[in-house]
Amino acid sequence: MSVINFEFRNEVLKHNASLSYCYQCSTCSGGCPVALITEGKYNPRKIIEEAILGLQEKLVNEQDPNPWLCSTCQKCVELCPQKVELTEIFTLIKNQCFEKGKFPEAFSAQGQAVLEFGIAIPYSKAIISRREKLGLPSINTAPVEEIQTLLKETKFDKNITRGGD
Amino acid sequence: MSYDLFLGCVIPARLPYLEASARKVFEKLGIILKDVDGFSCCPDPTGIELIDHKTWLALGARNLSLCNNNGGVISFCSGCVETLKGVNYFINKDITVKKEVNKYLQKVGKVYEGNTAVKHFAEVLYENLDKVKETVEKPLEGFKVAVHYGCHYLRPSEIIEWDDPFEPVTVDEIVEALGAESVDYDLKLECCGNPLDKSDKDLSLQMIDNKLDAIQKAGANCVVVVCPACYQQYEFNQRELNKKNGTEYNLPIFYLSELVALAFGFKPQELGLNFHRVRPNALFENVGFKV
Repeated sequence: MSVINFEFRNEVLKHNASLSYCYQCSTCSGGCPVALITEGKYNPRKIIEEAILGLQEKLVNEQDPNPWLCSTCQKCVELCPQKVELTEIFTLIKNQCFEKGKFPEAFSAQGQAVLEFGIAIPYSKAIISRREKLGLPSINTAPVEEIQTLLKETKFDKNITRGGD
Repeated sequence: MSYDLFLGCVIPARLPYLEASARKVFEKLGIILKDVDGFSCCPDPTGIELIDHKTWLALGARNLSLCNNNGGVISFCSGCVETLKGVNYFINKDITVKKEVNKYLQKVGKVYEGNTAVKHFAEVLYENLDKVKETVEKPLEGFKVAVHYGCHYLRPSEIIEWDDPFEPVTVDEIVEALGAESVDYDLKLECCGNPLDKSDKDLSLQMIDNKLDAIQKAGANCVVVVCPACYQQYEFNQRELNKKNGTEYNLPIFYLSELVALAFGFKPQELGLNFHRVRPNALFENVGFKV
Protein backbone atom coordinates (compact mmCIF):
# COMPACT_ATOMS: atom_id res chain seq x y z
CA MET A 1 0.00 0.00 0.00
CA SER A 2 1.22 3.50 -0.78
CA VAL A 3 1.57 5.76 2.23
CA ILE A 4 1.62 9.52 1.86
CA ASN A 5 4.59 11.10 3.59
CA PHE A 6 3.87 14.82 3.93
CA GLU A 7 7.28 15.50 5.39
CA PHE A 8 8.94 14.07 2.28
CA ARG A 9 6.60 16.02 0.01
CA ASN A 10 7.40 19.25 1.82
CA GLU A 11 11.09 18.54 1.72
CA VAL A 12 11.03 18.12 -2.06
CA LEU A 13 8.93 21.28 -2.42
CA LYS A 14 11.27 23.21 -0.15
CA HIS A 15 14.22 22.26 -2.33
CA ASN A 16 12.40 22.71 -5.59
CA ALA A 17 9.09 24.54 -5.67
CA SER A 18 8.72 23.92 -9.40
CA LEU A 19 7.32 20.50 -8.49
CA SER A 20 3.97 22.11 -7.66
CA TYR A 21 3.58 23.50 -11.21
CA CYS A 22 3.17 20.05 -12.75
CA TYR A 23 -0.26 19.37 -14.24
CA GLN A 24 0.60 15.86 -15.41
CA CYS A 25 0.40 16.56 -19.15
CA SER A 26 3.05 13.90 -19.86
CA THR A 27 5.07 15.96 -22.30
CA CYS A 28 8.15 14.81 -20.35
CA SER A 29 7.40 11.13 -20.88
CA GLY A 30 6.49 11.71 -24.52
CA GLY A 31 9.96 13.14 -25.19
CA CYS A 32 11.91 10.77 -22.96
CA PRO A 33 14.21 8.41 -24.89
CA VAL A 34 14.25 5.89 -22.05
CA ALA A 35 10.46 5.87 -21.71
CA LEU A 36 10.39 5.14 -25.44
CA ILE A 37 12.67 2.11 -25.39
CA THR A 38 11.26 0.71 -22.13
CA GLU A 39 7.71 1.19 -23.45
CA GLY A 40 6.81 3.39 -20.52
CA LYS A 41 8.30 1.24 -17.76
CA TYR A 42 10.55 4.19 -17.04
CA ASN A 43 8.21 7.15 -16.80
CA PRO A 44 9.32 10.64 -15.67
CA ARG A 45 5.74 11.88 -15.32
CA LYS A 46 5.01 9.12 -12.84
CA ILE A 47 8.06 9.97 -10.72
CA ILE A 48 6.86 13.58 -10.53
CA GLU A 49 3.33 12.41 -9.68
CA GLU A 50 4.64 10.26 -6.84
CA ALA A 51 6.76 13.16 -5.58
CA ILE A 52 3.71 15.49 -5.58
CA LEU A 53 1.76 12.87 -3.65
CA GLY A 54 4.60 12.34 -1.20
CA LEU A 55 5.00 8.63 -1.93
CA GLN A 56 8.48 8.34 -0.49
CA GLU A 57 8.23 4.59 0.08
CA LYS A 58 7.51 4.00 -3.62
CA LEU A 59 10.16 6.42 -4.85
CA VAL A 60 13.06 5.77 -2.52
CA ASN A 61 12.58 2.21 -1.26
CA GLU A 62 10.67 0.43 -4.03
CA GLN A 63 12.15 2.71 -6.72
CA ASP A 64 9.08 2.27 -8.93
CA PRO A 65 9.69 3.71 -11.52
CA ASN A 66 13.42 3.30 -11.15
CA PRO A 67 14.91 6.84 -10.98
CA TRP A 68 18.36 5.48 -11.94
CA LEU A 69 17.09 4.82 -15.47
CA CYS A 70 17.09 8.55 -16.29
CA SER A 71 19.82 9.09 -18.89
CA THR A 72 20.13 12.77 -17.78
CA CYS A 73 19.55 13.91 -21.39
CA GLN A 74 17.57 16.89 -20.00
CA LYS A 75 15.02 16.83 -22.82
CA CYS A 76 12.13 16.72 -20.33
CA VAL A 77 13.39 19.89 -18.64
CA GLU A 78 13.52 21.72 -21.96
CA LEU A 79 10.12 20.43 -23.11
CA CYS A 80 8.10 20.98 -19.93
CA PRO A 81 5.45 23.66 -20.58
CA GLN A 82 5.33 24.39 -16.83
CA LYS A 83 9.08 24.70 -16.38
CA VAL A 84 9.21 21.93 -13.81
CA GLU A 85 12.88 21.22 -13.10
CA LEU A 86 12.48 17.47 -13.43
CA THR A 87 16.10 16.38 -13.36
CA GLU A 88 16.80 18.52 -10.29
CA ILE A 89 13.90 16.80 -8.54
CA PHE A 90 15.18 13.40 -9.71
CA THR A 91 18.59 14.30 -8.29
CA LEU A 92 17.00 15.08 -4.94
CA ILE A 93 15.25 11.69 -4.94
CA LYS A 94 18.42 9.85 -5.98
CA ASN A 95 20.39 11.68 -3.27
CA GLN A 96 17.90 10.26 -0.74
CA CYS A 97 18.34 6.79 -2.25
CA PHE A 98 22.10 7.24 -1.85
CA GLU A 99 21.78 8.19 1.81
CA LYS A 100 19.83 4.99 2.36
CA GLY A 101 22.41 2.93 0.48
CA LYS A 102 20.00 2.12 -2.36
CA PHE A 103 21.92 2.93 -5.52
CA PRO A 104 23.62 1.02 -8.35
CA GLU A 105 27.03 -0.35 -7.44
CA ALA A 106 28.73 1.39 -10.40
CA PHE A 107 28.24 4.77 -8.70
CA SER A 108 30.07 3.40 -5.71
CA ALA A 109 33.23 2.68 -7.70
CA GLN A 110 33.43 6.25 -9.02
CA GLY A 111 32.76 7.75 -5.61
CA GLN A 112 35.36 5.52 -3.92
CA ALA A 113 37.96 6.56 -6.50
CA VAL A 114 37.29 10.25 -5.87
CA LEU A 115 37.53 9.64 -2.11
CA GLU A 116 40.80 7.74 -2.47
CA PHE A 117 42.55 9.71 -5.24
CA GLY A 118 40.64 12.99 -5.60
CA ILE A 119 39.97 12.05 -9.22
CA ALA A 120 37.61 9.51 -10.78
CA ILE A 121 40.30 7.73 -12.80
CA PRO A 122 43.79 7.42 -11.31
CA TYR A 123 46.73 7.67 -13.72
CA SER A 124 48.07 4.20 -14.54
CA LYS A 125 51.71 3.63 -15.51
CA ALA A 126 50.63 2.78 -19.06
CA ILE A 127 48.72 6.04 -19.39
CA ILE A 128 51.58 8.09 -17.93
CA SER A 129 53.95 6.63 -20.52
CA ARG A 130 51.39 7.12 -23.30
CA ARG A 131 51.05 10.75 -22.26
CA GLU A 132 54.82 11.16 -22.49
CA LYS A 133 54.89 9.62 -25.95
CA LEU A 134 52.15 12.00 -27.07
CA GLY A 135 54.19 14.94 -25.73
CA LEU A 136 51.65 15.75 -23.01
CA PRO A 137 52.63 17.35 -19.68
CA SER A 138 52.35 15.51 -16.38
CA ILE A 139 49.34 16.49 -14.31
CA ASN A 140 49.44 17.69 -10.70
CA THR A 141 46.01 16.82 -9.33
CA ALA A 142 44.41 17.92 -6.07
CA PRO A 143 46.07 17.12 -2.73
CA VAL A 144 44.10 14.05 -1.61
CA GLU A 145 43.91 15.16 2.06
CA GLU A 146 42.18 18.39 1.00
CA ILE A 147 39.54 16.50 -0.99
CA GLN A 148 39.04 14.06 1.88
CA THR A 149 38.50 16.96 4.30
CA LEU A 150 35.72 18.26 2.05
CA LEU A 151 34.16 14.82 1.60
CA LYS A 152 34.15 14.35 5.36
CA GLU A 153 32.36 17.69 5.79
CA THR A 154 29.62 16.66 3.36
CA LYS A 155 29.47 13.16 4.93
CA PHE A 156 30.14 11.68 1.49
CA ASP A 157 32.92 9.52 2.92
CA LYS A 158 30.52 7.64 5.22
CA ASN A 159 27.74 7.22 2.67
CA ILE A 160 30.03 5.99 -0.11
CA THR A 161 31.96 3.58 2.10
CA ARG A 162 28.71 1.89 3.12
CA GLY A 163 28.21 0.97 -0.55
CA GLY A 164 25.20 0.50 -2.81
CA ASP A 165 22.83 -2.32 -3.78
CA MET B 1 43.62 35.10 -25.84
CA SER B 2 44.14 32.75 -22.92
CA TYR B 3 42.17 30.37 -20.72
CA ASP B 4 42.82 28.17 -17.70
CA LEU B 5 42.60 24.55 -18.82
CA PHE B 6 40.40 22.11 -16.90
CA LEU B 7 41.18 18.59 -18.13
CA GLY B 8 38.96 16.50 -15.86
CA CYS B 9 39.49 12.75 -15.55
CA VAL B 10 38.35 10.74 -18.58
CA ILE B 11 40.32 12.53 -21.29
CA PRO B 12 43.75 12.89 -19.62
CA ALA B 13 43.65 9.57 -17.73
CA ARG B 14 42.01 7.33 -20.30
CA LEU B 15 41.93 9.01 -23.72
CA PRO B 16 45.05 11.24 -23.74
CA TYR B 17 45.21 11.24 -27.54
CA LEU B 18 42.04 13.38 -27.55
CA GLU B 19 43.87 15.88 -25.34
CA ALA B 20 46.87 15.83 -27.70
CA SER B 21 44.75 16.86 -30.68
CA ALA B 22 42.96 19.59 -28.74
CA ARG B 23 46.19 21.11 -27.40
CA LYS B 24 47.68 21.12 -30.92
CA VAL B 25 44.62 22.83 -32.39
CA PHE B 26 44.60 25.63 -29.82
CA GLU B 27 48.34 26.15 -30.09
CA LYS B 28 48.01 26.49 -33.85
CA LEU B 29 45.23 29.05 -33.39
CA GLY B 30 47.43 31.04 -31.02
CA ILE B 31 45.03 30.55 -28.11
CA ILE B 32 46.91 29.93 -24.86
CA LEU B 33 45.66 27.19 -22.55
CA LYS B 34 47.23 27.45 -19.12
CA ASP B 35 47.66 24.28 -17.04
CA VAL B 36 46.58 24.71 -13.43
CA ASP B 37 47.76 22.54 -10.52
CA GLY B 38 45.43 21.03 -7.95
CA PHE B 39 42.19 20.20 -9.73
CA SER B 40 40.09 17.25 -8.53
CA CYS B 41 37.39 15.37 -10.46
CA CYS B 42 34.94 18.03 -11.75
CA PRO B 43 32.82 15.95 -10.37
CA ASP B 44 30.82 13.92 -12.91
CA PRO B 45 27.32 15.37 -13.51
CA THR B 46 26.08 11.86 -14.38
CA GLY B 47 27.84 10.28 -11.39
CA ILE B 48 28.65 12.13 -8.17
CA GLU B 49 25.97 14.79 -8.75
CA LEU B 50 23.25 12.17 -8.89
CA ILE B 51 24.24 10.59 -5.58
CA ASP B 52 25.31 13.68 -3.63
CA HIS B 53 24.50 17.15 -4.93
CA LYS B 54 26.24 19.04 -2.08
CA THR B 55 29.49 17.11 -2.60
CA TRP B 56 29.25 17.87 -6.31
CA LEU B 57 28.82 21.58 -5.52
CA ALA B 58 31.66 21.65 -3.00
CA LEU B 59 34.25 19.95 -5.21
CA GLY B 60 33.13 21.86 -8.30
CA ALA B 61 33.37 25.20 -6.47
CA ARG B 62 36.81 24.26 -5.14
CA ASN B 63 37.98 23.61 -8.70
CA LEU B 64 36.59 26.94 -9.88
CA SER B 65 38.24 28.71 -6.94
CA LEU B 66 41.64 27.69 -8.37
CA CYS B 67 41.03 29.51 -11.67
CA ASN B 68 42.28 33.06 -11.92
CA ASN B 69 42.48 33.69 -15.65
CA ASN B 70 40.48 36.68 -16.88
CA GLY B 71 39.39 34.69 -19.92
CA GLY B 72 37.93 32.06 -17.61
CA VAL B 73 38.31 28.31 -17.80
CA ILE B 74 37.99 26.00 -20.81
CA SER B 75 37.42 22.25 -20.88
CA PHE B 76 37.53 19.60 -23.62
CA CYS B 77 34.75 17.64 -21.88
CA SER B 78 31.00 18.37 -21.96
CA GLY B 79 30.55 16.75 -18.55
CA CYS B 80 33.15 18.96 -16.89
CA VAL B 81 31.67 22.01 -18.62
CA GLU B 82 28.17 21.16 -17.40
CA THR B 83 29.43 20.69 -13.86
CA LEU B 84 31.42 23.91 -13.76
CA LYS B 85 28.64 25.93 -15.41
CA GLY B 86 26.12 24.19 -13.15
CA VAL B 87 28.01 25.06 -9.97
CA ASN B 88 28.08 28.70 -11.08
CA TYR B 89 24.35 28.53 -11.82
CA PHE B 90 23.36 27.12 -8.42
CA ILE B 91 25.70 29.40 -6.48
CA ASN B 92 24.48 32.53 -8.25
CA LYS B 93 20.82 31.53 -8.13
CA ASP B 94 20.56 31.04 -4.39
CA ILE B 95 22.56 32.90 -1.73
CA THR B 96 22.00 30.09 0.79
CA VAL B 97 23.68 27.62 -1.60
CA LYS B 98 26.61 30.01 -2.00
CA LYS B 99 26.95 30.30 1.78
CA GLU B 100 26.71 26.55 2.32
CA VAL B 101 29.32 25.84 -0.36
CA ASN B 102 31.69 28.43 1.08
CA LYS B 103 31.19 26.99 4.56
CA TYR B 104 32.65 23.75 3.17
CA LEU B 105 35.43 25.54 1.25
CA GLN B 106 36.44 27.46 4.37
CA LYS B 107 37.56 24.14 5.91
CA VAL B 108 40.25 23.92 3.24
CA GLY B 109 41.07 27.63 3.22
CA LYS B 110 39.32 28.47 -0.02
CA VAL B 111 36.53 30.73 -1.14
CA TYR B 112 34.49 30.92 -4.35
CA GLU B 113 32.29 33.85 -5.35
CA GLY B 114 30.82 32.36 -8.52
CA ASN B 115 32.54 34.61 -11.07
CA THR B 116 34.69 32.31 -13.20
CA ALA B 117 33.48 32.12 -16.81
CA VAL B 118 33.34 28.55 -18.17
CA LYS B 119 33.65 27.54 -21.82
CA HIS B 120 33.46 24.35 -23.83
CA PHE B 121 36.32 24.04 -26.33
CA ALA B 122 33.80 23.89 -29.21
CA GLU B 123 32.40 27.25 -28.04
CA VAL B 124 35.84 28.79 -28.37
CA LEU B 125 36.41 27.17 -31.77
CA TYR B 126 33.07 28.53 -32.95
CA GLU B 127 33.90 32.01 -31.66
CA ASN B 128 37.09 31.80 -33.76
CA LEU B 129 35.45 30.23 -36.81
CA ASP B 130 37.05 32.63 -39.31
CA LYS B 131 40.48 31.85 -37.94
CA VAL B 132 39.70 28.13 -38.03
CA LYS B 133 38.73 28.46 -41.71
CA GLU B 134 41.91 30.39 -42.54
CA THR B 135 44.05 27.75 -40.83
CA VAL B 136 42.69 24.80 -42.82
CA GLU B 137 45.48 23.33 -44.94
CA LYS B 138 43.86 20.07 -45.99
CA PRO B 139 40.09 20.39 -46.48
CA LEU B 140 38.24 17.22 -45.40
CA GLU B 141 36.70 16.54 -48.80
CA GLY B 142 34.54 13.42 -48.92
CA PHE B 143 34.09 13.27 -45.15
CA LYS B 144 30.38 12.73 -44.57
CA VAL B 145 30.15 13.52 -40.89
CA ALA B 146 27.29 12.62 -38.55
CA VAL B 147 27.47 15.30 -35.86
CA HIS B 148 26.54 13.98 -32.43
CA TYR B 149 26.07 16.98 -30.14
CA GLY B 150 25.40 14.96 -27.02
CA CYS B 151 23.08 16.15 -24.29
CA HIS B 152 25.30 18.04 -21.90
CA TYR B 153 26.84 20.29 -24.56
CA LEU B 154 23.36 21.80 -25.00
CA ARG B 155 21.08 21.10 -22.06
CA PRO B 156 19.80 22.28 -19.66
CA SER B 157 19.91 25.46 -21.73
CA GLU B 158 19.33 27.59 -18.64
CA ILE B 159 22.69 26.38 -17.30
CA ILE B 160 24.66 25.84 -20.52
CA GLU B 161 23.59 29.09 -22.24
CA TRP B 162 25.11 28.10 -25.55
CA ASP B 163 23.60 27.14 -28.93
CA ASP B 164 19.98 25.93 -29.24
CA PRO B 165 18.89 22.97 -27.08
CA PHE B 166 16.96 21.36 -29.96
CA GLU B 167 18.24 23.02 -33.13
CA PRO B 168 21.95 23.43 -32.58
CA VAL B 169 24.24 24.66 -35.37
CA THR B 170 27.69 25.31 -33.90
CA VAL B 171 29.39 21.94 -34.39
CA ASP B 172 27.82 21.49 -37.85
CA GLU B 173 29.24 24.85 -38.89
CA ILE B 174 32.70 24.02 -37.55
CA VAL B 175 32.66 20.69 -39.42
CA GLU B 176 31.63 22.41 -42.65
CA ALA B 177 34.32 25.06 -42.16
CA LEU B 178 36.82 22.20 -42.40
CA GLY B 179 35.53 21.26 -45.85
CA ALA B 180 33.57 18.23 -44.64
CA GLU B 181 29.86 17.63 -45.17
CA SER B 182 27.56 17.43 -42.14
CA VAL B 183 25.01 14.68 -42.83
CA ASP B 184 21.60 15.04 -41.24
CA TYR B 185 20.19 11.88 -39.66
CA ASP B 186 17.23 10.62 -37.69
CA LEU B 187 17.72 10.75 -33.88
CA LYS B 188 20.45 13.38 -34.26
CA LEU B 189 19.58 15.09 -30.98
CA GLU B 190 19.07 11.89 -29.01
CA CYS B 191 21.24 10.74 -26.12
CA CYS B 192 24.05 8.24 -26.78
CA GLY B 193 22.99 6.26 -23.71
CA ASN B 194 26.35 6.35 -21.93
CA PRO B 195 25.06 7.43 -18.49
CA LEU B 196 22.78 4.37 -18.37
CA ASP B 197 25.82 2.13 -18.50
CA LYS B 198 25.99 2.43 -14.71
CA SER B 199 22.43 1.25 -14.08
CA ASP B 200 21.33 -0.83 -17.10
CA LYS B 201 23.91 -1.96 -19.65
CA ASP B 202 21.29 -3.42 -22.03
CA LEU B 203 19.33 -0.18 -22.28
CA SER B 204 22.55 1.74 -22.75
CA LEU B 205 23.50 -0.53 -25.65
CA GLN B 206 20.06 -0.28 -27.18
CA MET B 207 20.31 3.51 -27.27
CA ILE B 208 23.67 3.55 -29.02
CA ASP B 209 22.50 0.79 -31.38
CA ASN B 210 19.57 2.97 -32.46
CA LYS B 211 21.87 5.93 -33.04
CA LEU B 212 24.47 3.98 -35.03
CA ASP B 213 21.72 2.44 -37.15
CA ALA B 214 20.26 5.87 -37.99
CA ILE B 215 23.72 7.23 -38.79
CA GLN B 216 24.54 4.34 -41.08
CA LYS B 217 21.19 4.64 -42.89
CA ALA B 218 21.85 8.34 -43.52
CA GLY B 219 25.04 7.47 -45.39
CA ALA B 220 27.56 9.10 -43.05
CA ASN B 221 31.10 7.69 -43.18
CA CYS B 222 32.19 8.92 -39.74
CA VAL B 223 30.87 10.48 -36.54
CA VAL B 224 32.10 13.54 -34.65
CA VAL B 225 31.58 14.03 -30.92
CA VAL B 226 32.50 16.71 -28.37
CA CYS B 227 32.26 14.67 -25.16
CA PRO B 228 34.48 11.80 -23.94
CA ALA B 229 31.48 9.87 -22.55
CA CYS B 230 29.79 9.94 -25.96
CA TYR B 231 33.15 9.09 -27.56
CA GLN B 232 33.56 5.96 -25.46
CA GLN B 233 29.94 4.96 -25.99
CA TYR B 234 30.34 5.09 -29.81
CA GLU B 235 33.90 3.76 -30.00
CA PHE B 236 33.83 0.95 -27.46
CA ASN B 237 30.44 -0.58 -28.25
CA GLN B 238 30.47 -1.12 -32.00
CA ARG B 239 32.33 -4.42 -31.80
CA GLU B 240 30.16 -5.59 -28.90
CA LEU B 241 26.96 -4.78 -30.79
CA ASN B 242 28.26 -6.55 -33.91
CA LYS B 243 28.97 -9.65 -31.86
CA LYS B 244 25.66 -9.49 -30.02
CA ASN B 245 23.27 -8.51 -32.81
CA GLY B 246 25.10 -9.38 -36.01
CA THR B 247 25.29 -5.72 -37.06
CA GLU B 248 28.25 -4.54 -39.14
CA TYR B 249 29.15 -1.22 -37.60
CA ASN B 250 32.57 0.05 -38.54
CA LEU B 251 32.25 3.83 -38.18
CA PRO B 252 35.32 5.86 -37.27
CA ILE B 253 34.53 8.15 -34.32
CA PHE B 254 36.40 11.45 -34.27
CA TYR B 255 36.69 13.97 -31.50
CA LEU B 256 35.98 17.42 -32.94
CA SER B 257 39.55 18.46 -32.13
CA GLU B 258 40.88 15.50 -34.15
CA LEU B 259 38.94 16.52 -37.26
CA VAL B 260 40.13 20.11 -36.87
CA ALA B 261 43.72 18.92 -36.36
CA LEU B 262 43.59 16.73 -39.49
CA ALA B 263 42.30 19.67 -41.52
CA PHE B 264 45.08 21.84 -40.03
CA GLY B 265 47.58 19.37 -41.50
CA PHE B 266 48.61 17.36 -38.43
CA LYS B 267 49.54 13.73 -39.12
CA PRO B 268 47.40 10.87 -37.75
CA GLN B 269 50.51 9.49 -36.02
CA GLU B 270 51.17 12.64 -33.97
CA LEU B 271 47.48 12.78 -33.02
CA GLY B 272 47.53 9.19 -31.77
CA LEU B 273 44.74 8.12 -34.16
CA ASN B 274 46.28 4.63 -33.99
CA PHE B 275 44.77 4.34 -30.50
CA HIS B 276 41.24 4.36 -31.94
CA ARG B 277 39.43 1.02 -31.84
CA VAL B 278 37.77 1.73 -35.19
CA ARG B 279 40.73 2.81 -37.31
CA PRO B 280 40.04 5.63 -39.75
CA ASN B 281 42.59 4.39 -42.34
CA ALA B 282 39.97 2.88 -44.67
CA LEU B 283 37.99 6.13 -44.60
CA PHE B 284 41.10 8.14 -45.52
CA GLU B 285 41.73 5.82 -48.46
CA ASN B 286 38.11 5.81 -49.63
CA VAL B 287 37.84 9.60 -49.75
CA GLY B 288 41.40 10.09 -51.03
CA PHE B 289 42.59 11.96 -47.93
CA LYS B 290 46.40 11.92 -48.08
CA VAL B 291 47.94 11.48 -44.65
